[in-house]
Amino acid sequence: MLKLAGAMLVLVSGTLIGFRQAARYADRTAQIRDLLHALQRLETEIGFGHTPLPEALGRAATGAAEPVAAIFIRTAERLRADGASVRDALRATVAEVWPRTAMREPERAALTRLGDALGISDREDQIRHLRLAAALLAAEEAGARDEQIRYGKMWRSLGFMAALLVVILML
Amino acid sequence: MLDGLLALLPAELAALIRALPASVLNGLEEIRVRQDRPLEIGHAGGFAYVTPAGTVTTDPAGGWRPDAGLCARLLERITNHSLYAMEEELRRGYVTVAGGHRIGLAGRTVLEGGAVRGLRDIGAFNIRIARETRGASARLLPHIADRVRRSVLSTLIVAPPQQGKTTMLRDIIRSVSYGDWPMPEARSWPARKVGVVDERSEIAACVRGVPAFDVGPRTDVLDACPKAEGMMMLLRSMSPELLAVDEIGRPEDAEAIREAAHAGVPVIATAHANDLEDARGRTTIRRLIDEGAFAAVVELRRRGADIAFRVVRPGPAAREPTRKAGGAGAC
Repeated sequence: MLKLAGAMLVLVSGTLIGFRQAARYADRTAQIRDLLHALQRLETEIGFGHTPLPEALGRAATGAAEPVAAIFIRTAERLRADGASVRDALRATVAEVWPRTAMREPERAALTRLGDALGISDREDQIRHLRLAAALLAAEEAGARDEQIRYGKMWRSLGFMAALLVVILML
Repeated sequence: MLDGLLALLPAELAALIRALPASVLNGLEEIRVRQDRPLEIGHAGGFAYVTPAGTVTTDPAGGWRPDAGLCARLLERITNHSLYAMEEELRRGYVTVAGGHRIGLAGRTVLEGGAVRGLRDIGAFNIRIARETRGASARLLPHIADRVRRSVLSTLIVAPPQQGKTTMLRDIIRSVSYGDWPMPEARSWPARKVGVVDERSEIAACVRGVPAFDVGPRTDVLDACPKAEGMMMLLRSMSPELLAVDEIGRPEDAEAIREAAHAGVPVIATAHANDLEDARGRTTIRRLIDEGAFAAVVELRRRGADIAFRVVRPGPAAREPTRKAGGAGAC
């Protein structure tokens, strides 16, 4: 009886781990897309609205879901509060928020590189940098979606299968 | 007033300025930051360098030298991290920050079709501290009062930079708008509606459309608006009884001032010039004076903490001053 309960427990947790891993793939795709949309809004604010950066960042965050919105909102807060440079503010925010996201190193690199240029050059240059970051992110998004399809399904079955294997070995 | 400005400066620069002796801080007029060169301050008409210990010296070798990083941070902060939104300001060469302080910039110019499009590699900043001196115009106002219309005459204020033109203009605006006439016979004169075209945001120092300086309850400010266009807009829309503008000189400014004169609205304007003769050297201003657009011309000079003035009534036809009034009087 106890053995059966243990086996059930292993099976359930294995399946959950698998689903969780699969969800990370889906989250990464969704978050990169969120980030892309936010950058597009930022481009509009900078290119057409001439909106000052702290405000533009705040507006770019509206419509984005949580971990991505936080990157923009926290950066804007930092700029307003202690007057740090955009570069430092964005780096500090990324370091703080990144563990909560499902995104990986290439996205982080694209974002911090954008932060090095944001706010310190004329409009055309800003738009160029924003578009470059968007292009990099779009490439990552395509890759992320591929992985989501391929490994997402795999993880979902793998979790259950591995748990099953453990149960068989235990029995 | 100074606290707001210091909050805008990078921490190490603000700390140095705060460490200056109170006597220097009270008379502080300019902070000049030049990359890799000693930090300079202008105070009480003179200048000095600031040492790393926060004292003043006249020896350039003893001055604290801001580096490229500090200049980059200063630029980022005074442009609110938004250099891209400052194209017009960079083309003109200065940025006005909250509090009305004007920060002049120098660096490498970017040309487009032979005209200056902006600045890059900015390595020199001149932070001019705006001060509100209430009562600065109290001694001048009786000399430029229009006793028939119970208002002020059209007046041109001329002085070299840093002699208190904007301070004087701001206080005239404030007095007229409050109806705060200093002359005993003017007790019953009403307060007047004043329209201000504040192209450089120096007169009223508007923050999101609301003046930071006290320019009076009956004053309407068109902030960051080109003067000529702004004067016409105010004439059409706000029915001013007095128009005030800073630093005229372009031909289109003259057109707008003539328009105001036809509408019977006096204009108080300032212009960069050493004195009246010097101002006449500028075509636009000479024409305006000769046409009689200004009933009075005021020359200003700083005398320590006070502003001395001389009022000249040019008259429409006369080339030479016809009457001298006021003499040098500190106010």
